[in-house]
Amino acid sequence: MNRQSRHRLPALAALAALAVLAVATVTALAACGSAGSTGAAPASGPITIGMSLPMTGPVADVSKSGYQGYELWASQVNAAGGLLGRQVKLDMLDDGFDPNQTAADYTRLISQDHVSLLLGTFSSLLNAPASAVAARQGMLYVEPSGGAATLFTRGFSDLFFAQPGTTTSLPDQFVAWLAGLPGSQRPATAAYVTQDDPSASPAVAVFRTKLQALGVKTVYYQVYDPSTTNFDSIAAAIAHTQPQMIIQGAVADDGAQFVRSLQKLNYNPKILFQTNAPTDEAYPSAIGGANSADGVFTAQSWSSTATYPGNTDFVAAYTKKFGAPPTEDAANSYTAGQVLQAAVKAVGSLDQTALANWLHGHPVSTIVGPLKWDKAGDPEGTLLLSQWQHGTLQVVAPSSAATTKTVLLSKPAWGNG
Amino acid sequence: MTELLQALIFGVLTGGVYALMATGLTLTFGVMKIVNMAQGALLILSAYLCWTLWSHLGIDPLLGSLIVTVPLAALGILIYRYVVERVQRHDHGLTIVVTFAVALVAEALIALTWGPNPTATTPAYFNQAFKLGSLTIPRAQLYAFLLAVAVTALLQLGLKRTWLGHAITAAAENPEGARLIGIQPKRIGTWIFAIATATTAFGGAALSFLYQFTPDSQDTWIGLTLSVVILGGLGSVPGAFAAGVLLGLAESVTTTYISVRWSEAVPTILILLVLLIRPQGLFTLAARQDAAT
Repeated sequence: MNRQSRHRLPALAALAALAVLAVATVTALAACGSAGSTGAAPASGPITIGMSLPMTGPVADVSKSGYQGYELWASQVNAAGGLLGRQVKLDMLDDGFDPNQTAADYTRLISQDHVSLLLGTFSSLLNAPASAVAARQGMLYVEPSGGAATLFTRGFSDLFFAQPGTTTSLPDQFVAWLAGLPGSQRPATAAYVTQDDPSASPAVAVFRTKLQALGVKTVYYQVYDPSTTNFDSIAAAIAHTQPQMIIQGAVADDGAQFVRSLQKLNYNPKILFQTNAPTDEAYPSAIGGANSADGVFTAQSWSSTATYPGNTDFVAAYTKKFGAPPTEDAANSYTAGQVLQAAVKAVGSLDQTALANWLHGHPVSTIVGPLKWDKAGDPEGTLLLSQWQHGTLQVVAPSSAATTKTVLLSKPAWGNG
Repeated sequence: MTELLQALIFGVLTGGVYALMATGLTLTFGVMKIVNMAQGALLILSAYLCWTLWSHLGIDPLLGSLIVTVPLAALGILIYRYVVERVQRHDHGLTIVVTFAVALVAEALIALTWGPNPTATTPAYFNQAFKLGSLTIPRAQLYAFLLAVAVTALLQLGLKRTWLGHAITAAAENPEGARLIGIQPKRIGTWIFAIATATTAFGGAALSFLYQFTPDSQDTWIGLTLSVVILGGLGSVPGAFAAGVLLGLAESVTTTYISVRWSEAVPTILILLVLLIRPQGLFTLAARQDAAT
């Protein structure tokens, strides 16, 4: 050991000791923060409701309307006298679609901002860490999005999903419709392609299992990374196998990108089902106009034409307030607010455990229909099956919510731009 | 066999488009040794300008790209004269930082002007294809490929047959020698930036009808265009074209026969291999530079 090394040793030891001290201090401070967190919410004045949303980043366009749904709900609650006689105030942070930032934001909302209640964020990717923070702090967590089945297998008792169904039940209505067709009209072959996303790939796996059980042969299966933007080779490989039906687990604009690749090849499957993407505002124009989307199936949690109590008023109020009709995300966040409101009103306090217990035992009437949850917060319903028809997204199943009795059995050829 | 041929056709066509998008960077990086990090943003700006001409005036993106070359060339001159050249005088290395800053500002301005939603042009041919037996040749991709061939050929012709081209080549091969015979680096730099950003208009036009784009799509394309330039060799327009085609082929064959997930890694693996085996790139001026010294 040389002289230089011997001199370094005490310095290194001092640095290590400093690091240990710093970690211990931070841990102790964090423990203090969490111990006093929920109890520190003020008992008078406005009720502050915290949320962290991806207002910037790749899904910023979706989040904006989602936040507007929260804003509309809060303004309506306040106009009607507030919650427990107190006005409602939203405390929104921006996480930029970063799961680590989401966790940090919810920790801050609880420990520093001392919010009284929480509302969820968007996507399973962000709701997974956010709901874990809420569970650790014993806070009720109602999420407008985040239907990945994995979110409901973690043993949390205070997580509630404010949509009628999750990824596991997403294929139900479509598979039931297909099963009801005469054998001669059912597709014989299917190709499956999905983004590697907790809200998409599990649903496509369920599709594959159920459709194979119906006798539909799998001719192609591919999982792609979220960063994938070029689908030309995938589309070519699919076209080579000539499937009659294509199921895509899309998350956002990958749905339109994939369709554009099929269009470039002029490959037109008899049936095309895509998750999420066909409900996007920009979807029809991106694939050549609304008529190009005709025949495409998707699953929806909400429809503007559904006759559930309050839905028509919601659509009118949202359109009046923001100058454009609500999106599905706006409806979902509004629904999350409705769920929270129903629980607080029924319990008569902000006791987080009592609120969760009440929600486990009672259905809540919302604009997406009556919601009821199992002990994991998984809703006991199914999503709507919708199809683009003549430039409009129509609900085709279940019959109780259907906006048309017509279902296009074969997708028309892609329209021209 | 059909599957392989189809994969090869796709690879070549897509690769041509990659080369088209990288043309501007080939000139600035190869000749001036400036990594223009704003190349991706300029591509997206071109795509939005083509989209605006198409959606408001009904001008086909391929035709619109000719119009877009004019404002893009002007923008290139402004970026060089007022940003790059000033920084370059003090520290050449800082040009990468300052062009990155230009990219960020451009992205913000694009978002403010056109909004964050995905956009794409859909001219009549965007969803049509030629059939060659059992093989399919998408019209949109074929047109973009032909555009890439035309732009590459014209640029190469310009570099080989015009005084400006000779001056650019001279400045690249021997900057001091070029200065001694009266070639002004600032003037050459201005021309290179003008030509480089003008050619970006063609890449933007192809992008507008081949893919959806948003203001932050530049992140996707800057990486890819850099890969093309490094693979092809600095400053070689035909080299960039060959590199683009090589990348396209590698991606297409990997997706078809291995997995789409591996195709994302293909550019990186190819760059690593080329840098190890032929560090100067596939077709490059660097070898000649070495020979001259």
